[in-house]
Amino acid sequence: MNNDIGSNDTILKMMNYLKPSVNKMEDDGEESQKNDSLNATTPLKRRTSFDVTTPLKKFKEENKTFDSSYMGSPREMRRLRADLIEARNTILNLENRISHMHGIRKEMQVLFDNETRSLRKQHEYDRKSVLELENQLQTIRKREHDLKQELAEVKNKNHLFKISTDQKIEELEKKLCNITSDHKAQETQENLEFSSLKKKILELQNQLDIAEESAQVHQKLCKELEKQLNERASAVTELEMKNKELQKLKLQMKEYDYIKENYLEYQEQSKTQARKLAQFIDMEKENERLKEENFRIKDEIKNKLLLEEEVHDLKRRLVKFKEQESKFASIQMQLVQTEMYLNEWKAVARGILEETNANDTALPHLLRSTVERLQQQELYLTDEKVNLQSQLNSALHEAKVAKEELSKNQKLLTKLSGTDEQKKNLIHRMQKKLLLVSRERDSYRLQLDSYERDLTMCVNTSALGTQAANQVQGLKERVENLEKIVSGYRDMVAKLENDLQNAEHDGPDLPPVKLEQISRLKDEIDQLKQERERLRERNDQLEIQLEEYLVGNDSLKGGKVYHLANNPLSECLSQREALIEKLQEEVDRLKRKVKNMEEGFESSKLVDISMSTKEVQMLKEEIKNHELQTQHLKEYFKTSMQEFRDVVYELLGYKIDKTSKSLYKLTSTYAENAEDILCFQLNNNGNLHLLETDFSSRLEDLIELHLKHQNSFPNFLSSLTLDLYSNRTMVTEQLQIIDD
Amino acid sequence: MATVQKSKSAITLRGSAEIVCDYLNYGINSILFQRGLYPPESFKNTENYELTMLMSTDQKIIEFLENTLTQVKEWLVGRIVNKIALVIMNVKTLEVLERWDFHVEYEGDTSSVEQHSEKPLNTIKKEIRDVLRQITSSVTYLPLLDCLCSFDIQVYTKNDVELPKEWAESEAANVKNAQCVKMRSFSTNIHKMETVVTYKNDDL
Repeated sequence: MNNDIGSNDTILKMMNYLKPSVNKMEDDGEESQKNDSLNATTPLKRRTSFDVTTPLKKFKEENKTFDSSYMGSPREMRRLRADLIEARNTILNLENRISHMHGIRKEMQVLFDNETRSLRKQHEYDRKSVLELENQLQTIRKREHDLKQELAEVKNKNHLFKISTDQKIEELEKKLCNITSDHKAQETQENLEFSSLKKKILELQNQLDIAEESAQVHQKLCKELEKQLNERASAVTELEMKNKELQKLKLQMKEYDYIKENYLEYQEQSKTQARKLAQFIDMEKENERLKEENFRIKDEIKNKLLLEEEVHDLKRRLVKFKEQESKFASIQMQLVQTEMYLNEWKAVARGILEETNANDTALPHLLRSTVERLQQQELYLTDEKVNLQSQLNSALHEAKVAKEELSKNQKLLTKLSGTDEQKKNLIHRMQKKLLLVSRERDSYRLQLDSYERDLTMCVNTSALGTQAANQVQGLKERVENLEKIVSGYRDMVAKLENDLQNAEHDGPDLPPVKLEQISRLKDEIDQLKQERERLRERNDQLEIQLEEYLVGNDSLKGGKVYHLANNPLSECLSQREALIEKLQEEVDRLKRKVKNMEEGFESSKLVDISMSTKEVQMLKEEIKNHELQTQHLKEYFKTSMQEFRDVVYELLGYKIDKTSKSLYKLTSTYAENAEDILCFQLNNNGNLHLLETDFSSRLEDLIELHLKHQNSFPNFLSSLTLDLYSNRTMVTEQLQIIDD
Repeated sequence: MATVQKSKSAITLRGSAEIVCDYLNYGINSILFQRGLYPPESFKNTENYELTMLMSTDQKIIEFLENTLTQVKEWLVGRIVNKIALVIMNVKTLEVLERWDFHVEYEGDTSSVEQHSEKPLNTIKKEIRDVLRQITSSVTYLPLLDCLCSFDIQVYTKNDVELPKEWAESEAANVKNAQCVKMRSFSTNIHKMETVVTYKNDDL
């Protein structure tokens, strides 16, 4: 116990020493203490608190690593930060531990109290057990009494038994008396029997003795047993009591041993804790140092970022300046050009003003004045021009009107002349008709004359005979008739002549009937003319057609056509015919052959065919071999291609796919998303071009630097790989830190 | 040359016939070459009329032309020939694709056997050259003969001709859908040759 108190004191001292640094955590510690005190009711649970020593050891190990020199890179920074966080964690752990130790101490005190209480309880229990033992003793005594009573009963029984045996003996004696009486009565008869009976009696007496002896032995034995029983019972009770006491003491001993061991361990632990606490101060110092360093580094990082921004800004400004420079050059060029133009303009102005020695400053004003003058002049002239134009237009209009009138008049004139001509024609035709009519008249006259001559001839022949008288009569009648007809004709002729004369005399003043006739005839003539015209056209057309038709045809002109019988054409034709015949024969032959073959004849000639089939088979096999070879080659190429692609992917970190003609897709190993793809196109000149994708639009900085500036795809791709890799590892590191 | 000179620069009837036949020989060879009836490698270059003419080396053609032209010459002298026609025919369909007509006209005193011409030979040759040039250039407008073709020479004569045994009567070759182009003519003042090509027009 003294030891315990000592250790407690040391712990308390330690606590006092640590308090300022642990102040912050004390609340939590107290809470945990409470919890621990609640939990630490049983000795077995206490053991759990001892396992916490291991993380402290770990912390020590980590402290060693903490001492490694600081490199200053962001990664190292990150690591340091992580370490710092770890250190803080360990500190927290330690504080927790200390508070825990306080808890344990209190727990121990409580435990001791409990122990004393339990011992007191034990004492009471012992007292109780003594009482119990006394009770037991009483019961045992009761039992002894009972046993004594039993013994008395047994004695009674024995006595009863003795009495009964005595009674039996009496009975037997009586019997014996009876038997003796009988014997005496029968002694004469049975002496032998008597003796035997005597013997039997003796034997029975012996038996009785033995029984008595055994009863005595039994009595003795009973007494001994009673004694033994008493002794044993007392011994047993004593033994039991002793055993119980022994066991209790043993248990107590064990507990004390156990407590003692625990105290020793506590002592050791407290020692180690003290050591650790001594180290903790150092760590605190180191921690502060690291914090300072951290602050410094952060400041530096801020400065660096500021500087980077400045650099970037300056770069941009540089680019702008460059652009402005180029603009400036172009502007200068333009200035020179404009100056040249100005000089030219000045020269032109001088030329216009015809004042070579005019001042440059005065030139524009002079030019303007001249131009204004000229414009005014032009205005005036245009005015005049417009006036003249209007005059011209009016004159032209008048001329047009006049022309129209003129054309109208001309048309009228032509119409009139046409009608005139028509009338002339009419007159001409009428004259012709007149001529015809007069000719008709002449012919009629001639006819008439001939008739008259006939008539005279008939008169001459009438004197020939009587037979002819009838004839003559008939003729006369005929003549008369004819004369009548003639006279009719004459009248007609006269009438016609009158008509003719009328016509000749009247001329244009024809009667309306005739005029009508004339117009009708005119129409007819016109119609006929039109028809003639039509027919002529038709004829021409037909002639043209005929000519066209006849171009290809040969006109024999009544001759004959000869040629050499042995000409190239006929030769060619005969050759062709021969060829066709030959082919036909061949076809026939082949057809026959095919037919025969189909019907299964001509087996004799099948050898060739079988040969050919064999050949075909061979060729087929060859083809198959070739196909297999190509298949193998294809597979080989496929595998080697895949291998090549894999190797490229492994080595360069890019999966290269060819999607379409000269379009290549690149996927990085470290790509954050599967959709992060770079597209390259190979154009006709063999140059590669980066096509815009969602991913590439996010890489403007890299494109600017590596493609536009350095013009190097490998640089671009490798820097992209590094970027992606660092991004990914950063992410994983952060994740790790979060996990820790 | 084959011209027979009776006096200085005088051409007889027979000489004129010979000039005409020469012209026919070169003209027909030229046509055969230009129209691609025979492979070009079977022709050889010959200088004549101040032109490079291509003459066939095919023995059959040479023989055929010789036989034909000697007979034609006789008939020309006899003034029986109206026209000599070179007919180009499709062998497969027997369709007449082209006909080259060489119309013959007899000038001057057509009854005399002892007819002479005073026309200078060089002038005649110049005229012939012009016609041959036209024949050569005719390829530009004549349709392409893209089938197997062969040719024949027909002689159109007047009636009552005593026919030699190798000769046979033929029929006039008519061209359907015809179009004709008239070339220049030349004359020896005894024979006047007029060359006309009639060909089947595919465009119609």
